[in-house]
Amino acid sequence: MADFSWTPVSPLQAALKPGRLGEKSGPAGLKLTELTGFSLMQVQARRGRWAETEAAAQGLFGVSAPANPAAVEGSGATLVWSGPQQFLALFPAGYGADWEKRLADAFAGSASLSDQTGGRAMIRIQGARARDMLAKVCSVDLHPRAFATGAAAATSVDHTGVNLWRRADDAEGAVFDLIVFSTFAGSLWHTLVDHAAEFGVEAGRHPA
Amino acid sequence: MRINCPFCGPRENGEFTYLGDAKPVRPEGGAGEEAFYDYVYLRDNVAGEMSEWWYHGGGCRSWLKAVRNTVTHEFLSVEAAPGAGGKAVQK
Repeated sequence: MADFSWTPVSPLQAALKPGRLGEKSGPAGLKLTELTGFSLMQVQARRGRWAETEAAAQGLFGVSAPANPAAVEGSGATLVWSGPQQFLALFPAGYGADWEKRLADAFAGSASLSDQTGGRAMIRIQGARARDMLAKVCSVDLHPRAFATGAAAATSVDHTGVNLWRRADDAEGAVFDLIVFSTFAGSLWHTLVDHAAEFGVEAGRHPA
Repeated sequence: MRINCPFCGPRENGEFTYLGDAKPVRPEGGAGEEAFYDYVYLRDNVAGEMSEWWYHGGGCRSWLKAVRNTVTHEFLSVEAAPGAGGKAVQK
């Protein structure tokens, strides 16, 4: 029997051209970065089992599962609300040795798990003009007072379903992370770059 | 037109799909042809407040039950559909 060697390929392999895009003069208004190497598990409580699901999340990650549209930092993973009684467990550095089994054991009987690693792409949007660009494509109010650090939204950008959440600001300004279906990642990337072009974009790719 | 999703907060109507009148209730199995004909085909053409199904497919993917004024497009209430899972999120 033939052996196969699978090489992971980014869903943005063709679309993402690293470097300066759009307006060339002055400092780039924002950075668009594909974050790679993460693992992702959809966790959805079985009917009537949200309390057990929350307790299992607490045991695994040291934080309660998000019951509201929020992204909470747990030990080893970020838990991103994705709908009522469901969330995405994002492992920035991948699952590690036994995480899939630990998840399956911890949520046995309380929640259904669905591995979305490879089914999603992650894009970080940051910089002084990040909000100005997002305001053109996203109908959620992302003003700091309306969308605080840690806030999350399941919404649509350019008719494409995304999970969007706000991380802590860095020196240059706001930082948003966005998860999108792999097969829509290329067209969404083009949309984001087009709307960011007037501000000047620094595009790149690095491990989450 | 904005719809106040009980889970996500106010969103543009483009994120939602309209599924029609929420009033008709499926008759019992032995209810007869007349009752099923009414359930499947006959709809009121409401000018005013109407109870409707909406689906937040572009967001949290929840089924919602809304009361909308079909004349003014004002939404009077939006709540999670019965059996749709979670309770409304405290905002």
